[in-house]
Amino acid sequence: MRAVRAVFVGLWSLLVGLAITIKHFGRTTILRKKVTEQYPHEKPVMSKAYRSAIKLIRFDETNSHDCVGCKACERICPSFCISVDGDKVDGIRKKRATHFEMDFALCSLCGLCIDACPTDTLEYSKLYEEVGYTRHWKHDLLKDFNAYEAQFVAEQRAREEAEAAEKARAAEEKKAAAAAAKAAKAAEAAKAAEPGAEPVADPAADAAAEEKKKKIEAAMAAKAARLAAKAAATPAPEES
Amino acid sequence: MPDTVVNLVDSPALGVLIGIAGVMAALTVNVLFLVWLERKVSAWIQRRMGPTEVGPFGMLQTIADMLKLISKQLITPRHVDKPLYHIAPVFVFVPVVAAASLFPFDEHVSLQNLDIGLVLVFAFGGLGIVGIFMAGWGSNNKYALLGAMRAVAQNISYEIPLILSTLSVVLMVNAMGDANTNGMNLAQVASMQHDKGFWFVLVQPVAAVIYFIAALAETNRAPFDIPEAESELVAGFHTEYSGMRFALFFFAEYSNMFIVAMVATVLFFGGWSGPLLPGAMWFFLKTYAIVFVMIWIRWTFPRLRFDQLMSFCWLVLIPLSILNLLVTAFIARAV
Repeated sequence: MRAVRAVFVGLWSLLVGLAITIKHFGRTTILRKKVTEQYPHEKPVMSKAYRSAIKLIRFDETNSHDCVGCKACERICPSFCISVDGDKVDGIRKKRATHFEMDFALCSLCGLCIDACPTDTLEYSKLYEEVGYTRHWKHDLLKDFNAYEAQFVAEQRAREEAEAAEKARAAEEKKAAAAAAKAAKAAEAAKAAEPGAEPVADPAADAAAEEKKKKIEAAMAAKAARLAAKAAATPAPEES
Repeated sequence: MPDTVVNLVDSPALGVLIGIAGVMAALTVNVLFLVWLERKVSAWIQRRMGPTEVGPFGMLQTIADMLKLISKQLITPRHVDKPLYHIAPVFVFVPVVAAASLFPFDEHVSLQNLDIGLVLVFAFGGLGIVGIFMAGWGSNNKYALLGAMRAVAQNISYEIPLILSTLSVVLMVNAMGDANTNGMNLAQVASMQHDKGFWFVLVQPVAAVIYFIAALAETNRAPFDIPEAESELVAGFHTEYSGMRFALFFFAEYSNMFIVAMVATVLFFGGWSGPLLPGAMWFFLKTYAIVFVMIWIRWTFPRLRFDQLMSFCWLVLIPLSILNLLVTAFIARAV
């Protein structure tokens, strides 16, 4: 009796197994729920914490990077995998990077370059298809920016000119305002003097102020002379 | 007597040639499809996609595979038994083609309609085992030899319940028909089910189950794929074969699967009989359904141990099929 029961239990277990596999079959065929990612056709979204080769950030305001070619990253890199060059561009205050290459084969992903960047224009990229087809393959970080560089320079020049014009205009305005204020003050003073009241400034006070100014100037001159004498006496400290 | 291709042409030799060409072409297409189906079904069962790149749904993948196998260099390892090694793939391949030409695809469509059809199918099935052992022995490789020995032991054992279970159907057909009826004739078995209006799986369920289990073992498929158990024997008897010779073994394996499914269709599932659709369509629908179940089983169950396999055959299947045959014979005599 137990043997017969075992046979039926065994048969039932076979059917249960078949039911499980056909359930998964149905899920993939009918419900089209797939768990595999069709890699070359579907690209994965990398995690926020994913660190790959560094890249230059493209800022929205300028539509370009802000690398000034200061070589801070190149100097701090413990693996010597970054090489940067920068040059002055006519009409722009800051320098611009002319060459930015990194050898990802050497990079240890320490992130020091990102911390060192004075313009905060470096970050980790999310690249994951890091395949080189030659032995000396390097990332050209400026590759995506080169096409926009002329446009950026023109725009930046216009921006800076506008800025300068704005500054000049503001200075002019300030001057004008100051002049107007002086004029108004003078007018007020004249108005106040007219009824025969006491004069605002008295000659004694003016003389005292003049005396004080002269005194200060003399003291400063004396101090400068003392300093010069001291510098001449002691040997010049070594250039650090 | 139903028309056959061999009878349609005047010259018997020409008819046989046309028939062989047709069967080989059909079997090749069929094998390509079955390999694709196996890969797709296994992928879907495992929540994967399977081949998707070559052609629609990856259907041309197997054609690419075939072209690769054809164009590969044929490597003959040193120290093999050259005659056996070279003949073995052909010896496995030829009986398959011969056996596949015996089936009634529709009411009057078959290449040859023989009164000993069923016997011939199993005889050709038995011939293939000789080829397998030649391959295993000739390869001069311990894995190949072990695989071949297992294959021979398994196939010889499982042939007994296989044939005994079909024999009960033959007995039944003979009992139900008149004096001219021959239960060994595949076309007559199919038309008998069509005339009576029911499938023999309903009156012979035990025989059908035994047949199906034994057929899985005969075709060396999981859970009875011990002759080529990958984890133990590399690839079993065809370990040393590559290129087109390997393809011939593969071809024979998948065609054998198709042949046992066709036998099951004819004996237990009414052959070409079915409503609305043309007969050949029903025939292939049923056959592919059975093949699908075989694939489904392969990707569900783990492999048996060899002693489990043999004791299951000798202690369960053979007594059960003999019992079934005796009961069938008794009822057939009584009715």
